[in-house]
Amino acid sequence: MTPIDPRLQQALDGERDPATLPPELREAYARLARAAALLRDAPAPPSVAGRVMDEIRRSPAPAPAPAPGVALRRVADWLAQPRAVTLRLRPFWPLAVAATLAAVVLVRGEEQVAPGAKEGIAQFVGHFPGARSVEVVGSFNDWRLGDLALRDDDHDGIWRGAVMLPAGQHEYMFVVDGERWVSDPLAGRYVDDGFGRANALLIVRSAAGP
Amino acid sequence: MRVAPVLALVLAASPLGAQTLDMRLAGRVPAAAVPRIDSLVAQAVAESLPTEPLVQKALEGGAKGVQGELLLSGVRRALAQLRDARAILTRTAPARAGADGDVAAVSAALGRGLPRPLVERLLASLPAEPPGPVLHAEADLLGHGFPPDAAADLLVAAERRGLRGSRLLDVAVAASHELQRGRTPADALARVRAMLPDVPAAPRPHPRSVTRRPGPGS
Repeated sequence: MTPIDPRLQQALDGERDPATLPPELREAYARLARAAALLRDAPAPPSVAGRVMDEIRRSPAPAPAPAPGVALRRVADWLAQPRAVTLRLRPFWPLAVAATLAAVVLVRGEEQVAPGAKEGIAQFVGHFPGARSVEVVGSFNDWRLGDLALRDDDHDGIWRGAVMLPAGQHEYMFVVDGERWVSDPLAGRYVDDGFGRANALLIVRSAAGP
Repeated sequence: MRVAPVLALVLAASPLGAQTLDMRLAGRVPAAAVPRIDSLVAQAVAESLPTEPLVQKALEGGAKGVQGELLLSGVRRALAQLRDARAILTRTAPARAGADGDVAAVSAALGRGLPRPLVERLLASLPAEPPGPVLHAEADLLGHGFPPDAAADLLVAAERRGLRGSRLLDVAVAASHELQRGRTPADALARVRAMLPDVPAAPRPHPRSVTRRPGPGS
């Protein structure tokens, strides 16, 4: 540190008239005096606590806690407002998730149509032009109406359906429009039902073979 | 000692068994007929006969709107047919006489109009075969006008050549196809016999949408 001249120190401290300083010190005194004036005039830097308190004083007073209904409405408003959302994704992950979902759906779909070892698929076809409904009722569904409806999607009068049944023999009839009992004319096998009609006889083969 | 018939007897004779049967029949058959159907089912249980065909016949009659005595006569007829079937199996294939499925299959064949002597002959000739497919194959052949004994001979020959179970139904289908090609019944049977065991197999159905149904009683 450069020692200051004692005469200059006395002048800065007000203990000596600056005019009595030698000319080589007067210029230094003038520079120092200007710097001291700048420091004296500059505002003091506020403390952190002061800045925080100033900010709090400038903020509006907090509102009282809203009623539950108001809070729900605010949440609803927030949810209803359109908002810009930016997603940054790696394409690999969405594609992997989509592929997994597709695989699950396909596998489950195959399970629905895969017959068990002692099951087989029975197909029913009937020509009933003008019918409003055709269903199959038989020993495989306790002769219950409304359980197995055939469909005529293209409205050509040909009603179709397929069902998984236990392997073996089953008796059935078609019920047209919910009230007319009709033997399946294409069944090829019939058995007297004991009530004056003939049931069609269906032999379902096991999917596993003979 | 066979456990299943004893268990069935106990269940059907018990209040729980009767209650289960009544629950299946409730609202499906005329209420007045239920006690008499119960009685017929109890007879079947006492004779170790399958009961499900009787329940099915009662439900069928109820669904078709059959009333009173006609419905009961249908159930009685089914019970008599099961007794006949059991008797035939006892004579020709005693090992199968206790199997409900085999008794029901023979009963169904009788219901299709197969003469008893023919049924007995086939069962005696093919003791290892489950009765359902071979009897239905014979009934199919008779339905197409083939001579009963010649048709039975063909089925026995097919079994000797290794065709079993539902493959015997393919033999009947092949014979009917030969008829459709203009052959006489005798020529059609001879033609199929000559191609044994290579009769065409029935195509497997592959429908686009299949429904799975609950089984009877579920």
